[in-house]
Amino acid sequence: MAPARAGDVAAPAAIRDLYYGETLFQFYQDKHFDALTHLLAARAEGRVSHHEAESELLLGGLYLHYGQHVRAEEIFNRLLTQDVAPPVRDRAWFYLGKVRYQRGLHAEALASFARISGALPETLEAELPMLKAQSLMALERFNAAAVLLDGWEGPDGWLPYARYNLGVALVRLNRLEDGARQLDRVGRSSPASAELLDLRDKANLALGYAYLQQAQDGLARPVLERVRLQGPFANKALLGVGWADAATRDFQGALTPWLELKDRDLLDSAVQESLLAVPYAYAQLEAHGSAAEGYQSALTAFDTEISKLDGAIARAATSGQSGSQGGGLINALLNTDDTAIGRWYWELDQLPDSNEARYLYLLVADHRFQEGLRNVRDLTALSGHLQEWQDKLSAFDDIVATQRGAYQQREPRFTSGLNRADVPGLQARRDALAARLDAIESTRNPAGLASAEELDRWQRLAALSADPGLAAPEAGDLRDRHRLLRGVLLWDLDRDYRYRLWVERRNLREIDALLARATRGQAGATAARRDTPAELDAFAARIADVGPRIARLQQLIARESGQQEQRLQALAIDTLRDQRDRLATYRVQAQFALATIYDRAATAARVTPERRQPGDSR
Amino acid sequence: MPTQHLKSCRLFVAMLIVGLLSSSPLQADEPTVAATGIDGEVQVLKDEVLDLNRELFLLEEELLFPANTQVAVFVSMDVGDFFDLDSVQLRIDDKPVSNYLYTEREVAALLRGGVHRLYLGNLKTGEHELTAVFTGQGPHTRDYRRGATLKVEKGIGAKFVELRISDRESKQQPEFLVKEWE
Repeated sequence: MAPARAGDVAAPAAIRDLYYGETLFQFYQDKHFDALTHLLAARAEGRVSHHEAESELLLGGLYLHYGQHVRAEEIFNRLLTQDVAPPVRDRAWFYLGKVRYQRGLHAEALASFARISGALPETLEAELPMLKAQSLMALERFNAAAVLLDGWEGPDGWLPYARYNLGVALVRLNRLEDGARQLDRVGRSSPASAELLDLRDKANLALGYAYLQQAQDGLARPVLERVRLQGPFANKALLGVGWADAATRDFQGALTPWLELKDRDLLDSAVQESLLAVPYAYAQLEAHGSAAEGYQSALTAFDTEISKLDGAIARAATSGQSGSQGGGLINALLNTDDTAIGRWYWELDQLPDSNEARYLYLLVADHRFQEGLRNVRDLTALSGHLQEWQDKLSAFDDIVATQRGAYQQREPRFTSGLNRADVPGLQARRDALAARLDAIESTRNPAGLASAEELDRWQRLAALSADPGLAAPEAGDLRDRHRLLRGVLLWDLDRDYRYRLWVERRNLREIDALLARATRGQAGATAARRDTPAELDAFAARIADVGPRIARLQQLIARESGQQEQRLQALAIDTLRDQRDRLATYRVQAQFALATIYDRAATAARVTPERRQPGDSR
Repeated sequence: MPTQHLKSCRLFVAMLIVGLLSSSPLQADEPTVAATGIDGEVQVLKDEVLDLNRELFLLEEELLFPANTQVAVFVSMDVGDFFDLDSVQLRIDDKPVSNYLYTEREVAALLRGGVHRLYLGNLKTGEHELTAVFTGQGPHTRDYRRGATLKVEKGIGAKFVELRISDRESKQQPEFLVKEWE
């Protein structure tokens, strides 16, 4: 079942800030650390302003996913004090409730969930009844949980979990028949995923043992037989099948699952139990020799395992005293860890195969241990990130030094270029041109827009006009031709006047645009020349500042990791001691049973001679 | 003895029942956590590291890609019924700057609304030509290769360009758009 995704509630209908989408891209690939880093940076730079509420919701979700419950809760609380859209408010209530649920504040979680007034996105809508039901069950309000889950039409992936939880709640309410109906449905399902197959086994196991507890042994057996023989619940199921047979005094039948069980890993409590159950069955079948042998073999197995546990406990304790981190067990976990993942994603079947690693199965089942390990894991990953930054700092220093050198080298050329760029002079020429155009337009002077050739012709015609010969009486033809040519030229100029004026205005606008760009460029270049040294100094200062901060945080991480590992080690030793104590108790039971068998045999031997007939040679 | 042992075994069964039925209800999500003192300390420390990490992330970006020369090219997808993305090649001013092959996971993230930052680099102010070539499978699972070009004017501020793949329902074909963002 997919866990709820913060992104599901934070995915907008349309991306209005690219960097918000970029964060989602990381998030949808489960790169939570990258998503968190990118979102924090984008928010700091104001790059997600169009998705303010959504990005805050996503940030809260990411913090929650990263185990930062305090920050997450702050964010959701802050969102709820703001004027946000009802859907965002509902999602914030959902997540606030989830934070509280995860912190074990079940009543407060239910209060948050009760504030949700509208529909949530599909995945959250599916998760909500589960969270509510689990909070109710944690508060031992089983009836309310049953009412909530019964008849709930959730998505397929969630239903088996809901049914399992409901079944368990009903069994605890002594409503075995109702609970059995729910557990049976899960137990008869045909899921595809390994996770749901495990859940099916667990449902069958829970139902089978519930029947055994109510002495309904005949019902228990077929239910327990549905548990897979190689799954994580197989051992307990085999033990239960044996007890179902034993309850009907079918000890021969009981021996089959128990004998299968006794050669499995002795760390499993069901296997330990089988070591006593097998000789018990032999004793019930009057096979006292086999029973004595079975108890003897159990004693040997218990002694061997107790000795191994003593060794593991001693090694864990000693390695802690010597100051090394966490002991062999913790190191075994961390050494095979994948730091690239960024979070702790252990799977039992991937645990290292060694004597020490056998005991990890006991430890990883403990929730406190998993949480502690997750903290160590996260701190180790963060330390790795800081180390990467530390390695980059010298490169950053080099970049600043290179840029400073390049600036110093280019600065004289740069300055000279800036000095040569006479933008005000160009602007003055442009202004003069504009003034001429304005004058031509205001007087409607077509000749003002004449081409060089036209102007030449115009000037030559003007010169002819001033020639006294043109006024002579005999120059009548010449005057006519002069008038004609001047008229033609004036006609042409007048005809093209508007077009030429438009072209010139357009040219002026282009000059304006070029001048504006030149002005901006000059301003930018001037600012760059002025600001670059200060900017480079600022970079150098920032780089110098983060170095000691990285070092300080690395020290804190090392100290905190050490504390966490010590806590894990103490938990590990406690768990191993519990295991050892249980084996010691079984050992006493085996010894007692063996002594009883020998005692009976001795009593029988003492009684038998008295019954011998005289003359009997034996 | 057998009676005693039977009782002890029944006791074990009862304990197992208690173990199975009284533990926290099953959930495939993260387990519940108590905000213990040490957990609180770890959270504060993680928070401080995350803040420093953010500062360093920005420092690196500002140092390597200053705003006045920065150009970022993003890829996004809308629907994607008519195109199954394999890769995007990006050229700027006819020079290849990125050739990115997408994983299934990345394509799924794009389809859910994620936006991939394909390229982050530096460009001088002035006009530049961006060419993106999209490769993948088009309608009827045929190999598909399409290009899109945009001339961009790089000013003083950072320049963001989005390469958007969307479905063109009317033609039952994918559509490749290039959009400038301010």
